[in-house]
Amino acid sequence: MKRRQTLFLILLPLALLAGCKGEKRIAKYSEIYNERPSTVYVAPINDISPRRAFRETADSVYNASLNTAARQLYLTATDPLTSHGYYTMGPLASAQLAATESRTGKQLRNENINDLYTDLGIDAVLFIDLISWSQTSSSWSVEAEYVMRSTHSGTEVFHVHVNTTKYLHTDFKGNPKPLKEDLDFAKKYGCDLETAQRCRMVEIMNQYVLRDIPSGSRARKYSAEQYVNSHPEYFRLRIHRDGSVELLSAITD
Amino acid sequence: MKNNGYIRILIVAATLLLAACSGQYVGMPRAEVLDYQNGGTYGSLYNLAAAYAESINSAVKQDTLHPGLYAEYGVTLALMGHNGEACRMLNSEVRAFPQSRHMVRRIKERLLPTMVDDTIASPADTADILKLESWAYDSITALKPLPRIVAVIDSTDSVSIRLQTPVDSVEYPVRLTANQKREILAQEQAKEEARLKFVEDSIAAAKQAKIDARKQAKLDKQKAKKEQQKAKKQAEKEKKRAAKEKAKQREAEKQRKAAERKAQQEAARKNKKS
Repeated sequence: MKRRQTLFLILLPLALLAGCKGEKRIAKYSEIYNERPSTVYVAPINDISPRRAFRETADSVYNASLNTAARQLYLTATDPLTSHGYYTMGPLASAQLAATESRTGKQLRNENINDLYTDLGIDAVLFIDLISWSQTSSSWSVEAEYVMRSTHSGTEVFHVHVNTTKYLHTDFKGNPKPLKEDLDFAKKYGCDLETAQRCRMVEIMNQYVLRDIPSGSRARKYSAEQYVNSHPEYFRLRIHRDGSVELLSAITD
Repeated sequence: MKNNGYIRILIVAATLLLAACSGQYVGMPRAEVLDYQNGGTYGSLYNLAAAYAESINSAVKQDTLHPGLYAEYGVTLALMGHNGEACRMLNSEVRAFPQSRHMVRRIKERLLPTMVDDTIASPADTADILKLESWAYDSITALKPLPRIVAVIDSTDSVSIRLQTPVDSVEYPVRLTANQKREILAQEQAKEEARLKFVEDSIAAAKQAKIDARKQAKLDKQKAKKEQQKAKKQAEKEKKRAAKEKAKQREAEKQRKAAERKAQQEAARKNKKS
């Protein structure tokens, strides 16, 4: 009996770690390890998620909520990169840089962007596509795609497609009940609860997606984490009712 | 019981694994940035500048400066029109993070075209930033052109005033303390009273003017009548005088004719005699 318990304790962490499936970082992100980018520019969010046509006030409230969530997605994209040792400009400075750029987001993603390195000293550009929002009575989902392109070689050094689902508590009428964190967020940011929940959702998504990028070459843990498993290229994030987050490969789900 | 033990182990292991994966870098004042991006008003820009100044203060104290923080503050100041301080903050960004020099130059070319070659960084110590912070607050009243109050709205718990700046015609509400609220309400009441008094005075003045006009008209009419009567009398007098004169002339003519006739009769009598 005791042996079975020991075996369980050994196998459990292995099984949990296996949940974070993927290749070793040094293999998956070999381009990043070769090029060692240090300055990353986060391009403005490409928000292609559909909006509601204006028929009543609730539609404009819903659209405003999505706009705020998209802005929050942009604002929270720099922090995980910064904590990984990359240099990033803040939102206002990035907006000024974006205003001087004549090319569209699509052109930046597909054409030669070596001039961003020669003119501005940017090593890589992170593009985020906000694809869609969907919701049921008890859950909300958001789908996004993250692509990082090197300005030196023009290759995609990071590409992730993620679907995040947040499960909500509902009251006896079936209306969603917010978590304490959501209420705190709404109070701090001065927004409504729905917007707060969306914003926290995209913030968590950013943290889980971008923390998989290898640390910058100047970071202390740069060489230590090269053999850690990376996230799969397509995955799902589940934010449970108690606030815990689960990462699942899109294939296993 | 055994199951409960496994579940506890499972929960602890999952929590540890997730805790190892978590991590958040706090530095940018996101709430203020979001507020500015959603509204884009002067008020939110001031709040943002103050929040950046506070972040820089705490970052300098803790020696954990967030990349891009000086540049953000510099851009905010440049948007507020304080170009000198903005330039120094952008230079501080380059001094702290040399890899940003090309990007900062591009930002300067856009926002501060006359200061592109000015590369003198600010001392960037806490006192300097604190000074800037208070200055940023004070600059609300120092900015030209001054914002003006366009409306005062009284709600149940607070008063919010809308300020309109002639530069971009932006309005924003300002939350007030109880004292400020009382003061504003008193001012508004005084203004209202003054307005009512002015209206009452205007009405009274208008009434008085009407009465005066009537009186004047009556006087004018009387005067005109008197003048008319006087003129009539004068005309009658003239007429009488003319009639008298005529009568005199007629009498004189009669006398002359009678004298002539008498003289002719005398002459005729003399001729007969002779």
